[in-house]
Amino acid sequence: MGILNNLWLGFQEFGHFLPIMMMLIGVIIGIMVGVLPGLSPSIGVALMLPVTFGLDPISALVLLVSVYLASNYGGSITAIAINTPGTPGAVATTFDGYELTKQGKPLHALITSLTASTIGGLVGTIILILFSVPLASLALSFESYEYFALGVFGLTIISSLAGKSPIKGFISSGIGLLLITVGFDTQLPFSRFNMDIPNLADGIEFIPALIGLFALGEIFFSIEKGDSVQEKKATKVNLTEALPLKELLKLKWLMLKSSVIGTLVGCIPGAGGTIATFIAYDSAKNSSKNPEKFGKGSLEGVAAPEAANNGSVGGALVPLLTLGIPGSASTAVLIGALMIHKLNPGPELFDKEPGLVYGIFVSLFFANIFMFFVGLLGNKVWIKIIAAPKSVLYPVILALSFIGSYFIQNSVFDVGVCIAFGILGWILKRGNFPTAPVVLGLILGKMIEENLRLSLIKGEWIEFFTRPGSLIIIILAVVSFFMPYIKKKLVRK
Amino acid sequence: MKVINYILGIVLISYLVLLGYLYLGIGQKDTYPAKPISIVIHSKPGSAIDFMARKVAEIARKHSDAAFVVENRSGTQGLVAMQHVLDMKADGYTLLGVTKSFLSTVMVNKSKVSLNDFLFIANMVSDPEALISNNERGFKSLDDIIRDSQREEKQIWIGPGTGSRDHIMALKTWETLGVDANWIDYKSGPQSILAMLRDESAVYVGNPADTKGKSNLDIISIASEKRLSSLPNVPTFMEQGYDLNESMWRGFAFKKGVPEKAVVYITDVLQKVVNDKEWEEYCNETYVFSNFEKQDEFTNRIAQETEETIFYLNKAGLLVTYVKESPIHLLLVLIIILSIIFLLILSVNKFKIGNITYDQLLAAGIFGFSGFFFYQTLLFDIPETANITSPTLIPRIWIITLAILSIILFFRSKASTSKKENHSPKIVLIIILFLFAYLISMQWVGYFFTTPIFILATMYLLKYRKVPIMGIVAFGFVLFSYLIFNKLLNIDLPMGWWFV
Repeated sequence: MGILNNLWLGFQEFGHFLPIMMMLIGVIIGIMVGVLPGLSPSIGVALMLPVTFGLDPISALVLLVSVYLASNYGGSITAIAINTPGTPGAVATTFDGYELTKQGKPLHALITSLTASTIGGLVGTIILILFSVPLASLALSFESYEYFALGVFGLTIISSLAGKSPIKGFISSGIGLLLITVGFDTQLPFSRFNMDIPNLADGIEFIPALIGLFALGEIFFSIEKGDSVQEKKATKVNLTEALPLKELLKLKWLMLKSSVIGTLVGCIPGAGGTIATFIAYDSAKNSSKNPEKFGKGSLEGVAAPEAANNGSVGGALVPLLTLGIPGSASTAVLIGALMIHKLNPGPELFDKEPGLVYGIFVSLFFANIFMFFVGLLGNKVWIKIIAAPKSVLYPVILALSFIGSYFIQNSVFDVGVCIAFGILGWILKRGNFPTAPVVLGLILGKMIEENLRLSLIKGEWIEFFTRPGSLIIIILAVVSFFMPYIKKKLVRK
Repeated sequence: MKVINYILGIVLISYLVLLGYLYLGIGQKDTYPAKPISIVIHSKPGSAIDFMARKVAEIARKHSDAAFVVENRSGTQGLVAMQHVLDMKADGYTLLGVTKSFLSTVMVNKSKVSLNDFLFIANMVSDPEALISNNERGFKSLDDIIRDSQREEKQIWIGPGTGSRDHIMALKTWETLGVDANWIDYKSGPQSILAMLRDESAVYVGNPADTKGKSNLDIISIASEKRLSSLPNVPTFMEQGYDLNESMWRGFAFKKGVPEKAVVYITDVLQKVVNDKEWEEYCNETYVFSNFEKQDEFTNRIAQETEETIFYLNKAGLLVTYVKESPIHLLLVLIIILSIIFLLILSVNKFKIGNITYDQLLAAGIFGFSGFFFYQTLLFDIPETANITSPTLIPRIWIITLAILSIILFFRSKASTSKKENHSPKIVLIIILFLFAYLISMQWVGYFFTTPIFILATMYLLKYRKVPIMGIVAFGFVLFSYLIFNKLLNIDLPMGWWFV
């Protein structure tokens, strides 16, 4: 009853002209932020922060939360259309999404991703409303041991990303893991492996590296193959292809499961949506009836990470609202926004401002639904862009990647990083090395090292296995690592 | 004339209008301030100093015609932001948000950037350091902490950073209270607070605002001369009989050499901000003291505190070099390693370059780079501190794994026949060249001139020849990016050093 009451309060708070307008604007800006490579959700939210100064608290937060939500979806569009994850959370979507585009079925992928994102967002919101208190204790129970175990679990996903040659997959991930050790040591105040280049003192900026590996790497590779020059006609796109409604219905349980994974991982501070997408992808592949289709244009492979990615938005709000701890870069900005409006994030917020908190929940609901319809309209535009000749599309993507890497820190060096990783991506692709494990290494490396070393200072090795939380995750990791091989064996018999 | 030509015409005209609008106004400014003043902040949005800068920008709007824009440039504990301000002209349009943590930053990183390059024009707030603990521990006073520390097990104190202000505060406190404890660096404020909520450590060294909204965290004491009016129940160190004052300050600085009128103008605006009622509210709200100090006073303070910082960093053994100088230049090392390996694979392939497969080449390259990283770990010179896990541990695990894997790959690929593909990477190499040329020329000539040239050249290279479409895409892209970045998102695209 309490919850219904509060929801009603929230509804009253949200149901005014200004908050609704802010939600609509936020969703549209959010999608745009997601689409532009380099503009990650956290940067998008930060850019909108000054706008919120003049607004009342509910409108301000609705705007920011809508941008956050919609940008997580927007990233998948470019991932599918041009193999450029618009946001880090959309990396896993490129695996099958871009394959589908290459097969002339971008609309299938786009609609699947839109539906999965919407469902993920809705499920995340529902879980947030119903279970934020128990989830807060989950977030709180994560110590360095569990973070380390989660990092290792994340790494085991390589075995399902590696494709034909596991060894090449492992090497790719090793490259990512080693490169991310460049920069500040996690415990002593000195910089490692920076080769006396001042710009490397703080390590490699992640987003330019990501753009380089995917967007530039793919462009270089496909230009070398002669795609752009020989066939002036672009990918043939069937504009009237039927909406895969039946196919979508088949994915309902998968989407639900992935949304829950996304929300759970999302609520662990510092873990974040990107790791959730990989875990969801891996788990979808392991439980799928057609695991061999993964990486070759499987709708399941699009639905799982996207549902998880948007599910993580609801999850990320759990520690923010219940503990007052930012779980991700985006929610750190939200904390700033709360403080600017003289609100203290933390358990007291629920008691003091139930209308506001539940108003945000209600707005998330509507933002998801609105996002779905905007997404449907948008798909018509994206399809046209995909259909443009590659020799026009590629220069534009290059220019876009360029500016995307530049303005994260207004740094020319970062553009250099982007180009360098583009070259790395190209070199790897030519040798049939998968590039996704490099990204996985870059994402997980810091988490693994930081928490392993912290754990060893605090205690002993044995604690990784005596603490129930880390033990469970380690077991999951082992299972996930061997699953593809076990399945292969079973199929052969 | 076809429709497409009209569209091209419109796009071209709009592009020229945009150029005129952007570049004709440059150089005609006599009065200060003639354009928005950016406040460069070294941390991400939402941090304490970011919050302060935004508040100042907001209140300043009431007292000045100038617009203040907060710009976040995080990285290397502030060095990125400092370097950026030094790279800009000293024309009074770039302010740097400064905090006391910069004192350690420049020392610990042994950077070329020096605080002497800056003009510290005003200190704004003083944020007292605070000892915080979980109320499960039942600490009520500093004496409780001392008593607890006399048990057998060493107390653990936590906070973000090694050599950070919080760490120095811990060192000072131990000295004052006679406590012997261990410092564990939890990397970030949020992670430290999470650990405190779990009651992982005895004391968290932070600032009073860290406890906002968290009813199970108690502030045991603050290190300021008087109590905060917004936290009347929290005692100071002095009141409990311990002489210790330690506060974080936050203020603003210019690059040295700015026109005097800019300094006067900004000091005046900041003075007005501090006198505003909203400022008082902000200070109460965030548990800090308003502490306005003008240039002279502020500069003196920094000189004094610099010495103290050196003393404590030395005491903690943090002002040492952790990496030995390589006897030969690192680049040379890399070249030597790679050439040795290349010779090795050549010998395996009976000295015929054509025999080397692409996989072998990659495997060798990866092996070489692992070796290069391994060489660098040999240069690490870590003092024997008890409380640390070696910084070489994890990199060496990755290095050895990569080395083993690349050896396996090398010998596997020998068996497989190399499939030669008949396309040449020439076009790709030209495009990479274009990209670097674009990158370098953009800094000089500006985004708006170089971008259409880059797009047109690349399209031409990819053998696209429909001129009107080429024009529309290239110039239209510039218009589009101007609207999105400059107008909608308020990010200034580079105008070029030659013009600005």
